Amino acid sequence: MTSLRDIKRRIANVSSTGQIIKAMDMVASTKLQRVRAQLEGVRPIYFELKRIVEGLAGEEEAAAHVFYRERDVKNSLYIIFTSDHGLSGSYNANILAAALEHMEQGKNEKIIAVGYKGYEYLKKKGKNIIRSVIDVADAHVYYGSESLAKLLVELYLSGEVEEVFIAYTHFETVLSYVPYVERILPVSAGVINKTAENGRKYEPDLHTYIDHLIPLYLHMNVFRAFSESHTSEQASRMVNMDAADKNAREIIEELTRMYNRKRQAGITQELNEIVGSANFFE
Amino acid sequence: MAEQQNNFAHKRKINLQITTPRGVKFKEEADMIIMRCIDGDLGVLAGHAPVSTVLGDGILRIFNNGVEKKLAVFGGIAEIKDRAVNIFSTIAQRPEEIDLERAERDAREAEAILLEQSEEVQVHSLRVSLRRSLVRIEVSLHLEEEKFTEDDEEDEES
Repeated sequence: MTSLRDIKRRIANVSSTGQIIKAMDMVASTKLQRVRAQLEGVRPIYFELKRIVEGLAGEEEAAAHVFYRERDVKNSLYIIFTSDHGLSGSYNANILAAALEHMEQGKNEKIIAVGYKGYEYLKKKGKNIIRSVIDVADAHVYYGSESLAKLLVELYLSGEVEEVFIAYTHFETVLSYVPYVERILPVSAGVINKTAENGRKYEPDLHTYIDHLIPLYLHMNVFRAFSESHTSEQASRMVNMDAADKNAREIIEELTRMYNRKRQAGITQELNEIVGSANFFE
Repeated sequence: MAEQQNNFAHKRKINLQITTPRGVKFKEEADMIIMRCIDGDLGVLAGHAPVSTVLGDGILRIFNNGVEKKLAVFGGIAEIKDRAVNIFSTIAQRPEEIDLERAERDAREAEAILLEQSEEVQVHSLRVSLRRSLVRIEVSLHLEEEKFTEDDEEDEES
């Protein structure tokens, strides 16, 4: 039987955990606001650039460019976005599962792991991690993604990898985020441009144009994937902390009830004893 | 410049839209736009042929109803259509957003290091930094002298 003191201690324990949960919930929700604003900012430029880049795939001359041409694939590069910290529910498990499933299609993979959780998991799995990006401060995400984009262009052009995939969690609403694995290099023609603009010219020439366009596009792509993942992470954490907060309150309620009942039982018993012994002496 | 184009294009405006990673930054009508591309300046009036071009570091000059606006735009691409110009760039700054003191300091520092013997690798990034600072300074000064219609800028980059 648990004593009154034990129950009291447990209540204190749960409520202090509850306070930590509440604090984390608040941190996650303010962070969510911020990263969400960042995400909303980068989405328009990303989608516009994506439209331009994929539209170009329809042009014959562009299709021969190194960023568009399909090559025999020996090595595939994966950039996998996970979080640095835990307590975000199934967020990391989902994206890692999606990435692993994709790799199992007979890929010879090289991995750039972004986020500590993914790095640790993939290392344990014995995957070929060529670079890890861990603990990026929020303010450095933009420049971090620029150098990441530069790195993958280097790897791609030097022939170390023949295709590049990006695995990130797409943020839809606060309650729904979907893991995606997308191929970003070579650029595959999206929906072949229905609105084929005839006679569009490129200055100074198409090749120079693509040489400038693709790095910008990749930078925005990586930055966006970063923001999408980050937003999903914070949303996921917030939702999970909300649930944990609710659970903590339920436990406290139950324990308090138990405590009161026990206290009452004790008082009743004492009263009975007093009355009983008083009767005995009469 | 403004009078010349009024003769034939006063009814036709260009819809200019500048998109940066912070969202759609600038959306306005214009009579004429002059942008700095990697191989020189390019002026655009309404009804331009469809062209896509690569932007360099420089000043984007927007003329509307005889008023000139200047923006600092660093790199990116421009998509020109018949009646619209879409610019996608990582940095586009209005004069009021530029920290003049900082730009001047950056320019001085870059210049000072460039004058000394420096590493080959650094030179490129220093040149970029210097060029961007100078563009920022010029755009920023434009804010204070907006009433002057005379255009007496010097091309510091050549």
